[in-house]
Amino acid sequence: MKGRLSLIMGMALLVISQTLTAQAPPSHGERAGGGLLRTDTIQEVVVTGTGTQRLLKNVPVQTEVISRKMLDSYGGKSIEEILSGLTASFAFAEGDMGSQMQLGGLANNYILILIDGKRIHGDVGGENDLGLIAPQNIERIEIVKGAQSALYGSDAMAGVINIITKKHTQKGIFADNSTRYGMHNDLRQHNTFAFNVGKVGSQTNFQMQRNDGWQNTAKEYAEGMVLTDSKTKTVNKFRNWQLAERLTYQPIQNLELYAEGSYYIKHICRPQNGTHPSCDVYTYDLRYNNASASVGGKYYLEDKAKGTKRNYITLDADWNKHAYYYDYTARTYENVLLKGEKYGPLDGTWFSVPMYPGQSKLQSDQQRVMAQLKGVFYLPCENTINAGMEYRYDYLNAPDRTETGTADDWTSALYVQDEFDKLSWLNVTAGIRLVENRNFGVRLTPKISAMFSAGDVRFRLGWSQGFKTPTVKELHYRYLHVMGSSTFFNIGNTKLNPQTSNYYSANAEYRGRKFTASVTGYLNKLDNMIALVNVPVGEIPAGITTAYLGDGSTNVQARMYKNMDDARTYGIDVTLSYQVIKGLTITGAYSWLDTEANLYDVSKNRMTTVVIDGTAHHKWSASAMYSHTFCPRYKLGVNLSTRGSSTRYYQNNGNGKQYQIWRINTTHDLGKTGKKLAYRLELCVDNVFNYVDRTIHPYHLGNNTSGTTVYGTFAIKFNYGKRVNQHKLSTKSNYNNEED
Amino acid sequence: MKKINSFILGVIAMCLTAPVFTSCGDDDDNVAMENIVSEYSVNDKMVAEQKAKSGKNEAVLLVAFGSTWNNAFQAFDATKKAYEAAFPNADVYVCFSSDICINRASAGENKDDEGNIVKRDYYEPRYLLHAIGAAKYGKIYVQSLQVIPGEEFAAVVASVKKFMNNGYIGQAHLDDKYLAKLEEDEAIFLGLPLLNDPDVDVPEVAKQLNMLYSSEAAQGVVAFMGHGNPDNYDTFKANVRYTQLEEELQKLNSNYFVGTVDMDGNYKEDVMDRMKDNGINNGKIYLHALMSIAGDHAHNDMAGEGSDYWDAEDETSGDNSWFEFFGHKGYTPVVPVVGNHPQGLLELEGIRNIWIQHTKNAAFLEEAYHSMYPEE
Repeated sequence: MKGRLSLIMGMALLVISQTLTAQAPPSHGERAGGGLLRTDTIQEVVVTGTGTQRLLKNVPVQTEVISRKMLDSYGGKSIEEILSGLTASFAFAEGDMGSQMQLGGLANNYILILIDGKRIHGDVGGENDLGLIAPQNIERIEIVKGAQSALYGSDAMAGVINIITKKHTQKGIFADNSTRYGMHNDLRQHNTFAFNVGKVGSQTNFQMQRNDGWQNTAKEYAEGMVLTDSKTKTVNKFRNWQLAERLTYQPIQNLELYAEGSYYIKHICRPQNGTHPSCDVYTYDLRYNNASASVGGKYYLEDKAKGTKRNYITLDADWNKHAYYYDYTARTYENVLLKGEKYGPLDGTWFSVPMYPGQSKLQSDQQRVMAQLKGVFYLPCENTINAGMEYRYDYLNAPDRTETGTADDWTSALYVQDEFDKLSWLNVTAGIRLVENRNFGVRLTPKISAMFSAGDVRFRLGWSQGFKTPTVKELHYRYLHVMGSSTFFNIGNTKLNPQTSNYYSANAEYRGRKFTASVTGYLNKLDNMIALVNVPVGEIPAGITTAYLGDGSTNVQARMYKNMDDARTYGIDVTLSYQVIKGLTITGAYSWLDTEANLYDVSKNRMTTVVIDGTAHHKWSASAMYSHTFCPRYKLGVNLSTRGSSTRYYQNNGNGKQYQIWRINTTHDLGKTGKKLAYRLELCVDNVFNYVDRTIHPYHLGNNTSGTTVYGTFAIKFNYGKRVNQHKLSTKSNYNNEED
Repeated sequence: MKKINSFILGVIAMCLTAPVFTSCGDDDDNVAMENIVSEYSVNDKMVAEQKAKSGKNEAVLLVAFGSTWNNAFQAFDATKKAYEAAFPNADVYVCFSSDICINRASAGENKDDEGNIVKRDYYEPRYLLHAIGAAKYGKIYVQSLQVIPGEEFAAVVASVKKFMNNGYIGQAHLDDKYLAKLEEDEAIFLGLPLLNDPDVDVPEVAKQLNMLYSSEAAQGVVAFMGHGNPDNYDTFKANVRYTQLEEELQKLNSNYFVGTVDMDGNYKEDVMDRMKDNGINNGKIYLHALMSIAGDHAHNDMAGEGSDYWDAEDETSGDNSWFEFFGHKGYTPVVPVVGNHPQGLLELEGIRNIWIQHTKNAAFLEEAYHSMYPEE
């Protein structure tokens, strides 16, 4: 082990001695992907799999892309809508705690979500809040499944979603406004203001989103019967806003520096007109508050004259905060640990502290500091080395939800990846990532991908190991999770072990000018998988039983994070795209999935095998995209799409029904290209055939759509300044290397 | 390894300014303190008004875990009424030790037994005890509505001890002279749980249950489902009461059985094993809750049904109700209901009267406390 470590350290130091790191995915968005509004996908450029820019066609790590063209044509209002409508890989069930996202059968906490290469921060119940990302600000989305990328962390056992945002780097001024309004008082507002003068650039983004929520059924099973006047909503009312600023400065030709920050607030308002204490009465609303600050830079070791293969290093330092509050709407007793001499005889006791309407109480504040150092080096013999280091410090402040009030953790990593391109028919990308965690020691995780090329056909093979240490919350956090008539007390477990995975994939792909087809088979084997498991009262820490569980007259189920013995997910993904005629493209995606998780039941001395909650064996999506420029001042786009899923399986509270939903979106681009002002109108009818799942609460829904919804969007864009070459990228040379 | 670690940390230290982690601790602390004090005064005011209105100098405080179910609220209503009749000189208060139950009950609209919409405010024992002390009632009865003297009852005992020690903060401090007098007069009483005394309570409860269910026992098995404490929380070794109750009941009719949800070795499958040992392999089995009110356990764990929820792989799973389990095992389960609900013990007059007798016969706090904690 010692020898291996020295070797790795040596390699890392070799790299670092020349550099300094940090990953910010190359800020090429506007130039590379943004200008590519052509109907074929042949020029699609991706970065997530390898960390270097590559044509999608030639990326050795299988990558799925949602291009800007698809995003524009589909007109999704949220990330959830986009990922479920434009791929077949994701499943969602929107809830207050987050999006309940699944990829390949694995939940949100196995999915690494990156915005421009930086991992998003903060979760509630393991779910990320995807409302942080405004669809209007997305350039494209790249999806890499499994822990295939050495660059982004071995904890991405299900995969990586890299959301590349729009960056306005051209000289001059850019401003836009997009306002979307639809049923349920759904408002989505987004504004950008950007300018670039001399060596300085600035981009300010503002977003506001709101929706009044809806109720698919007034029936709820509670108190041993079906109540017919429940006020529990299918989706609760919410509103959020975000302000983000990014400043860039290029002091010298080879150096780009940036500083950015953001502030975000989300309110979730729960029904206040419920009458049944057993299920639809709420005494507080929820609020999330995020903030972030980053600084960093990219330094090219060679001048531009060197061409596209310029070695560079990047350094980023980030601070993120995600705080979660209760905003009380009625008097609410909270079980609080009183600490301090001022409490006299109550010091050190758990006490029922009332909170009054108008008051708020912090539930958890997750903060994170990260630093990343990365370098990309083009070595002889067509080797490209991508190496870096990463340090992450996590801090949790949860006064009433941890035993001592706070908890923390740190993880550091070193990684090296080599892309070997010497042979025209073979690309091999191999990487190792060495992870060290404060509590769980050191682990080396290798990843290797090979791609064989023959004309327009590619075969890819991949193997990667994952390593995911228990999160601070999984170790220490405990909280009451109320879902209508179901109440759970979820408890962290300090005896957890890290999770490990082995991901195997094989892919065959044809990517011609008009037709593309891709088939991928994968197997993801996880050991020590961590899941919330129902536990008998006896396993709960003392003190909690009397406060929450009582004599069973109220229905609180205790659940604890436990290592399941092992789990595996396996499936086949198929994607197709065909350009029928100029202006008309049809695409389709299908995903077959199966999952198995084994749990050793100590009390019964036997193994139980279960399907991972939320698994659907079949999911599909398809769309027909049509666009036509009728005159220089008017371009029409029509997108007809469908998505569906077979039954979703759950261990508790019933299975989710199968569904199929259709959608039509039309886009109307007004105004001549090249003018300062451009206008766009979008009209969308989602769920055309008014499918509604009216399964009674609290049982699982297959889909939480409210039925047919109609939206309209008006966008205006102002662009004053130097234009960029829309067709800068060439496919003639560099069949594999497209680094700029 | 340490070298790598130090190196990484060194680089990081250069790259980062020391993060400042904000904390809301102080603000939250102040709010907590103010709210506690404020809630004392809210409770104090409510009790003072009640005392002024009634002119009574005795208080009965009934402490239950609580519920969010309307049928349970009605059972508490009936219990309060019965206590008011039994203690005409006392103001009767009902409080819940579960915060969630208090929060949700007061925010909802509930129906009384005549179907009228009523607002229900239950109180938290520690605040309500303080208010009773602040109102200077001359005699205080604290009655546990628990079935066995287990973990929850221990929490009730602790609250009353804290009250007598004047364990309150700041301005909420009670009048020491009043508390001293209460002690001197031996005027604060602790009413013990239903099955507290194995020699007196257990046979009496068995007798009352037999009076109610002897006709069922004549037709088949009558099985009671209690809650029980897990082994590691078996405070005062109270779980044994279930076994003792079964023994007493079987003296009256061998068709009675008593099982639990949480007591090790006395789950539904253990009940079935004992039935089989007695040669009962089929026939009717009447299921009753041995809990103060019929809430989630009575409805779902005991009476729950639906083929969707039957776990065939693990028949003894907690997800399989007693109704389903005995049904699948060849018996014919029956859940007798009143108004669509199984009955809780507080709804059975004969049993409720045992609790009332416990209050009437309640020992002075210190004696009761020492009987629970002989070593102290």
